[in-house]
Parts: sequence; structure tokens; C-alpha cells
Amino acid sequence: MTPDSAPILTAHRAGLLGCRSCGRVWPEGQETCDRCGADLVPPDRRGLQKVWAWWAAGLIMYVPANLFPMMRTQTFAGLQGSSEATILEGVVELMHYGNYDIAIIVFVASVIVPMAKFLAIAWLARVAGRPATVEQAHTRLKIYEVVEFIGRWSMIDVFVVAILSALVQLGFVASIHPGPAAVSFALSVAFTMLSAQSFDPRLIWRGLPLRSRTGTEGQD
Amino acid sequence: MTDTPPPVRPASPVRKTAARAAQAGINVIWLVPIVALIVTLGIAWNAYSTRGAVIEVEFADATGVTPGETALRFREITVGQVESVSFTPDLARVVVKIRVDKDVAPFIDSEASFWIVRPQVTAQGVTRLDTVLTGAFIEGYWDANVSGEQTRFTGQDRAPLIREDTPGTMVTLAMENADGISEGAPVLYRGVQVGRMENIRLAGTEDQVIADAFIEAPHDKRLTTSTVFWDTSGFSLSLGASGVSFNVNSLSSVLQGGVAFDTLISGGRPVEAGHVYALQPDEDTARNDILASDSGEPLRLAMLIDDSLQGLAKGADVQFQGLRVGQVTDLAVTQDEPRGEIRQVVTMAISPARLGLPQDATPENALAFLEQAVSQGLRARVASAGFLGTSLMVELVEIPGAEPASINTDAQPNPIIPSVPGDLDDFSANAQSFLSRIGNLPLEDVLRSATDMMNSITAIASSEDTRAIPESLRETLDQTRSAATDIGGMARDLRDSGTAENIARLVDEAAAAAEAVKLAAADVPDMVDQIDAAATAVEEFEFAEISAQAEGILADLRAMLGSEDAEQLPRNLSNTLEAASGLLNDLRDGDAAGSLNNALDSASTAADEIATSVQRLPQLIQRLEATAARADSVLASYGERSAFNTEAVNMLRELRRATEAFGSLARLIERNPRAFILGR
Repeated sequence: MTPDSAPILTAHRAGLLGCRSCGRVWPEGQETCDRCGADLVPPDRRGLQKVWAWWAAGLIMYVPANLFPMMRTQTFAGLQGSSEATILEGVVELMHYGNYDIAIIVFVASVIVPMAKFLAIAWLARVAGRPATVEQAHTRLKIYEVVEFIGRWSMIDVFVVAILSALVQLGFVASIHPGPAAVSFALSVAFTMLSAQSFDPRLIWRGLPLRSRTGTEGQD
Repeated sequence: MTDTPPPVRPASPVRKTAARAAQAGINVIWLVPIVALIVTLGIAWNAYSTRGAVIEVEFADATGVTPGETALRFREITVGQVESVSFTPDLARVVVKIRVDKDVAPFIDSEASFWIVRPQVTAQGVTRLDTVLTGAFIEGYWDANVSGEQTRFTGQDRAPLIREDTPGTMVTLAMENADGISEGAPVLYRGVQVGRMENIRLAGTEDQVIADAFIEAPHDKRLTTSTVFWDTSGFSLSLGASGVSFNVNSLSSVLQGGVAFDTLISGGRPVEAGHVYALQPDEDTARNDILASDSGEPLRLAMLIDDSLQGLAKGADVQFQGLRVGQVTDLAVTQDEPRGEIRQVVTMAISPARLGLPQDATPENALAFLEQAVSQGLRARVASAGFLGTSLMVELVEIPGAEPASINTDAQPNPIIPSVPGDLDDFSANAQSFLSRIGNLPLEDVLRSATDMMNSITAIASSEDTRAIPESLRETLDQTRSAATDIGGMARDLRDSGTAENIARLVDEAAAAAEAVKLAAADVPDMVDQIDAAATAVEEFEFAEISAQAEGILADLRAMLGSEDAEQLPRNLSNTLEAASGLLNDLRDGDAAGSLNNALDSASTAADEIATSVQRLPQLIQRLEATAARADSVLASYGERSAFNTEAVNMLRELRRATEAFGSLARLIERNPRAFILGR
């Protein structure tokens, strides 16, 4: 892309293998990291299968998480009726009651972030190892880091339900129970986190030098 | 992997990796999403399959029904939930969509009924108070038979009073009007509630009200075709020969009415649901209405009468051998064709069972029975009923030697039973004579006498003399009072002048008596022996006893003042005082100075009279005189015996005391003259 971009020396190109656990590089062929004892796995697009598998599982679980009620509120032991609300219904209800800020938080944490994660991971897994410019590679890395960081925060909805279920157990008067969506949502978040973790960020850099090389040296 | 890749030499990883990826098999990790998919689909399918059916129920309104909250309950267990509430196209009613649990959905068929349960306050109490807290819910009822699937229902406006599954029998009651009876009113059997009234409504074409009465099992076995129902609503107040009777069945029946039933005659057939009974207005009517209580068709007979039928009314008894066997059902006038006479037709209904025939006897049996009886002389006649005979009844009596007759069974519309003239004439005659006797009573004379008597009484009461009576009384009292005053004044006079002098005179007289005694003693020396004897007697005489006697006399006197004798004393005193009064008047009127001596004499006389009036006083004086004589003789005999002198002085002192006592009597009279006049 840029003519001045010199081929960047990556560990792979240098015949080294980075430890995913502690980051130390070892010569290729080394089986385990002598420093931390982790297995040294060369970056491989086959590892993306894991990413895709977890991603798919997370996406599957995300469907019932949105269709089933997140939590069930019982008043007067269910005599006066119990209200169930899915995530989106809860958001709508919050907006209906005028709690726009909370509605936005819930919406962002429970809808936008997971969706963005799915998209981001899918995109990363799709483009990983593909030729890219340095800037593109950096963008991908940043996205990966954001996904990694933000993944755990998607659990906020689950936490809310868990805490409310634990706190609001007023017996006859009112009680809150987690709905089936809470489990689904938690699983979905967990699966996406595993998916993000399964992604090998080293694959981002695998495409770089090749692109440079192919651009400068042409095919072998 | 390549065999010897130099470390710094770049390989061709893309291609290599892509190739490897293509060659690589399916990773085990793919099981995770597969399992997730299976689980999710399983959950989804499960949720869908247990979703249950949606039914729609129409209600007049949806009070308390909240979509998503209001539950559908069957035997108090939630079996569904309201999903949405909407209107019918004409906006007249609301449609409640209910998601019913799958396991009960098949049973909700065409026989299901729905109603909204709300708190209710009725005369029977407050029900379903729990729904105040929990909110209304829809209750449904359906049986276990699956018949005819249906998804659209019309809800009932309120909970049915009787559940359809309650065992029992529903009968229909027909009544004139439903006064006092409300739905849910109890049906009582001997005071025990065994059912309820419901569905009170106007009969379509007749002028009647009909209601359903549900009798719970096992009490419905008591219902037979000869059962009678009567109204127990409110209270009854009746005035009869035995007094006023006031009957209240129960507070509940006062508030919401009620009916009771009883089976008076055994042998009725069991009833089926929907049997129609006539509701009698009260228990007496029900118990007496034999036609209502008897099973079977009554025999209708007619009789022709020439007499006046005044007093014979519909419902009058038909008696046979003194027992009620039926009642008059109709009165009419007919023209006897051959003769052109106007005759009265009395139609009566006779219960075959009451004639002694079996329970299942038909009118034909009864007719046959009566035909036979008529051939033996049975006739119908009108008789008076009751004591005063103001009402009439029909009697079936055997007339010995009656002309042969038979029941005209061909007559239309009813067979005609031969009749004889009733004893109405006797009755009429009796009544007439009775009334004429009443008419002949000399009421006017009595009244006149009474009026005269009253007038006399009035005249007496209003006469001057009668009116003067109180005045005379008052005058009498005044006179009495003035007499008392006079007595008082006289007594005062007595005290002021007379008494002391009298006493002095009395003493003087006593002294004179003593002197006389002394003289006598002196003049009669031969009496010395007597005196000696007297002295001896005196010696023997207990002077203490004398004084004791004197004291006893005084005590007697005092006692006398309070005794019955005192009654006489005041009377004497009164006379005396009257005399004194007259004297005083004379004194006042006449020459005071001239009359003074007379007055004093009179006073003296009065004092004497007073003295004599005291019965014992003269005796006392006599005794005293005797004693004084003896004392004097003793004195004379024994000279200046100081002791005797002392005793004599004591004696005199006692005398004075007696006088003083008398004076106190006089003072008492003065103080309280009425006591003497009135005797107390």
C-alpha cells in the first residue's frame, strides 16, 4: 500500500514463536515456554475454528436471551400477578417510566455491546491472517483489545438480575426470580468471551509482511 | 510443517495455513454450538408446545381484569392467564383472551362457563373478600367430559349460586309474585337449609313468576309429587282467637326471603328435575291445600243449588264425614233448560286420596266410589261452616231415606252429584233469631238508664252541697283547731290561775279532811281502839308500799296518758274544756267581774270534773284520805313522831307530785292539744 512501508519483522518471520501466556519468544520447534510453562502454539488459522464455534454458540444463546423473560417479578405471592419482561421489554418499560438513562445503559450493555461483539469477533475472525496494511492491522488489534476488555461488562445485565433476585425476596409481598433469559444471556456472554479469547491476535500480524512482500517482491 | 525452514526466512504461511485449514477436520469445539443450538431449540419447542390454547370469553365489562396478570382459575387453581382484553366489534361487550394451560384446555368445551370473581356483599354475607387483596380473577367451571371444542364463550355476569357439579335436583316453583324472595334465598326443610333459589324470572306467557329451586342431595330425595312448597319470606302477623301471633322464620328469610317445603302425604312419586310446584303463600295454606299436596288428578264434580249461595266462596271446604276431601273451585249460574229456572252450579274438586282410596287412585275410581255412596243415600248439600256460620261449605252427607238418585255422569263439563237442600234455612233462622234477639235487647232503655245515672252522678257531683262538703270539712277542721286553741287557752288559764289555787284548795281540803279526821279522832275516843288497831295496821302498814303504790299510781297515770284509757280522758276533758270554753265565752261576753266567782266555781267544777275524769284519781284521793286519816290518827296517837310527820309530808309531797303530774298532763294537753283530740 505505502511504498515506504518496509517489511515489518514479525516473530513468525523471524522464525520465533511467541508465548501467548507471557509473551516471551522462543525459537520455532520449542514445545513449551520455559518461562511460564505454557504450551507454545504456533499461530494457525485452524485455531479460528474455535473462535467461530464459540461465536456460534454465543449467538445461538443470544436468541433465547432476547426472547425469554429476563426476570419475573411476583407481587403478593403471584396472587396479584407476576410480571415478566424480556430485555427489550424491560428497556421499553424503563423508558415508559421515564428512566431514560438506565434504559440507555441497559440497552447498550445488553443489546448494543453483545451485538457489536458478535460483529467485531466475526469480522476479526474473518479478516485474521488476511493481507492488511499496518494501519489496518493496528485497527484490528485495537478492536480486538476493545472486545477483550468490554466482554466482561456485558455481564452487567446478568449481575443486575442476580443481585435483584438475591435482594428482593420479600416473601409474600414481592419477589424477583431470574427468568430463562438470564441463563441464556450469561451463557451467550460467556461464549463470546471464550470466542474472543480463542482468537489468536498473532494472526493479525501474519498477513502484514506477506502483503508487503507480495507487493514488493511478487510471487515466488 | 516444512522440514527445515530457516528462522529468518519467511515462509508462505498463508497458503500453508489455508491448505492446512482446508485439510483439517472438524474440531471438537464445534460440539459446543451444536449443543447450544439443540438446547435452545429444545427449550423453544418446549415453550411452544406447552403454550396452551387461547380462548375468548365475552363479558359485559372487564372490571378488575388486567392483561398479563388476571388469572383464570378452576377450583381455585390458576390454569390460565388473561393475555389481552379487547372490545367486540359493536363495542357493547369486552372480549377477554385467556391463554389456558395445555392440560386443561381440552376440557374447556361448550359446557364451560366463566365469570369474574369479585368481592360481594349480600344479605347472606360477604364473599370473596380475598379478591380485594389479590384483585379480581376469572373463574371457570367445566366438567371432565370432553365434548365439542369451543374457543369462544360468553361469560356470566356473576358467579352461579349453585355449581353444576353439586349433586341435587333442580325443581321449578311457580308463584303469583316474587315478593320478598331474592335469588340465593334459602330453601328450608324443617328449618334446615337444603337448597337455594335462583333464576327468578317472569313466566313467558302467564301471569306468573317462576324460579328454580335447587335442592341439594341427599335432601332432594324428600321431594315427591305430593310435596308442597310455601313462602317463608318476611314475617307474618296474625290476630286470632288465641291472640296475636308473630312469626319470623329467620333473619335471613326476612332479608332475602325463602321457601320451605314439606311432604305431608306419603306415597308421592319421586320427581325429576324440572318438576313444577306451586308456591303457596304461607305454611297454613300449603298444609291445607290438599289439592296441591295430593298427588294425582282431583275429581271434579258439580252440584246444582236453588238456594242463595251467599257465603259460599271459592276455596270453601268440601267435607265428607267431617273431613276435608276437597274444595270448591268454581261458582257459576246456569239455566235449567227444561224449567227455565236459574240455578247455581257449584264446582268442586275432590281428592281421591282423601276419600280413603289408594294414593294412586284416579278420578274415575273416586267417581265410582261416590256413585256407590250416592246410591246408598249420599247427597251433597250446603252447610254452614264455623261457629258464626258466616261462611258456607259443601257437605257430602248420607241422608237416610233420601229419594233414589244417582250421579249424572253425562253432564258436562263435570258430573253432577245429587244434592239436597242444605240446613242453610236452619242456619239462617238461627242466625236471624240470634240477630233479632240482639235487636230486641232493650238497649235503648239500658242506655237511657245509664244516661240518667250518669246525669244524676253529674248533678250530684256538680251540686252546691257536694261542692260544699270540702268547705264544711274545712270549717270543721277550723272549728277543731279553734277548739284546740281554746283548750290551749283554757289550759293556760288553768295554769295561770286555777290550778295552783285548786291544788291549794285540794291541799286545803285534804288538810280539812285531815282536820276532820283529827276532829273525828278527837271526837271519838272510843275509836282509840280502832285507832290502835289502825295504828297497829299503820305500823304493819308499809309506808314504803304506800309511796310505792302512789308511785305506782303515778306510773299508772302516766301509763294511762299513753293508754287506751287516755282516749276517754281527752273526751271527758274535751267536754270539760268545752264547758270551760263556754264558761270562758261567758266570761268574755258577760260581766267579767260578776261572773268571776261563777267562773272560778266553774273552773273548780271543771277541775273537779277533771279530777273525777281521771278514774283512779278519786280512789287515790280516797286512799290518800284514808291513809291521811290513819296517819293523822297515828299522829294523834303517837304525838310528834317525827318519822310519821316525815311520812305524812312525803305523802303530801307525793300528792303534790300527783298534782304536778296532772299539771304536766294539762301542759301536755296545752302543748299538743290535738294529741288528746285525736287520741295520740
